[in-house]
Amino acid sequence: MKTDTEIARDEPTITMTRVYEAPRTLVWSAMSEARHIRKWWGGRGVVNPICEMDVRPGGIWNHVMRFPDGQELRLQFVFLEVVPPERLVWQQADLGSGIGGLPATHTTVTLDDLGAATRWKMVARFRSIEDRDAALTFGFARPIESSGDALTEYLMTM
Amino acid sequence: MHPDSLSATLFAIADPTRRGLLARLAKSDATVGQLAEPYDMSLAAVSKHLKVLESAGLVTRGREAQWRPCRIDAEPLKAVAEWIGGFSAFWDRSLDSLDEHLAAMRASQNNGGDPQ
Repeated sequence: MKTDTEIARDEPTITMTRVYEAPRTLVWSAMSEARHIRKWWGGRGVVNPICEMDVRPGGIWNHVMRFPDGQELRLQFVFLEVVPPERLVWQQADLGSGIGGLPATHTTVTLDDLGAATRWKMVARFRSIEDRDAALTFGFARPIESSGDALTEYLMTM
Repeated sequence: MHPDSLSATLFAIADPTRRGLLARLAKSDATVGQLAEPYDMSLAAVSKHLKVLESAGLVTRGREAQWRPCRIDAEPLKAVAEWIGGFSAFWDRSLDSLDEHLAAMRASQNNGGDPQ
């Protein structure tokens, strides 16, 4: 894996770091513009029929993911910090209730300028270490559970 | 699910031929001969792949000695779906796709197309 993942022992966080061979302004566009986000959010096999982002502090990000089996997952985030082209912070709009089976997270992405390349560093903070560990095991699993047919197709895309 | 079962499932689906066999069986039950048709390999080779799928509990075989049609059992795949469905796996996949999308963005920039 090209992504470096760190599970903190004493803190409810997951840190994921990756270096992209692209200038920072480009990576910033890719992560802060809806038309780009919908191309990569969720990875292969996932489509994003709705992605509406009001990218400013307090702005809402409405999102719907559609999994290969047709099930949809509705997400709503709120932006807390927007510092182009280096820092984006968001959290679930309903932080605290965990609606939709999604663990409540507060996510900070920092982009380091490495010249022709950019270091992506994402720190996802959960309410508790228990929540964090549950997210590692389940998190996005529920919408994927389905018939063998759809699952097999999904696995074929791996 | 026992962790060893998960390993067996992951091992079974790590091979593209075996994923192909599963995809075929997801449509309908089939005999070894029918399964072998699209592949340039012997019946024995296909049977070998089927044995791996069987031992992972992904495929069951009929009792009729001559036909013994193969049938998919998707149950173990659910554990895999959970396993690959965790938070870091979600981001691993997303960040892989971001890499591909950045390449597409750069290519479109170089072609004088979309400026971003």
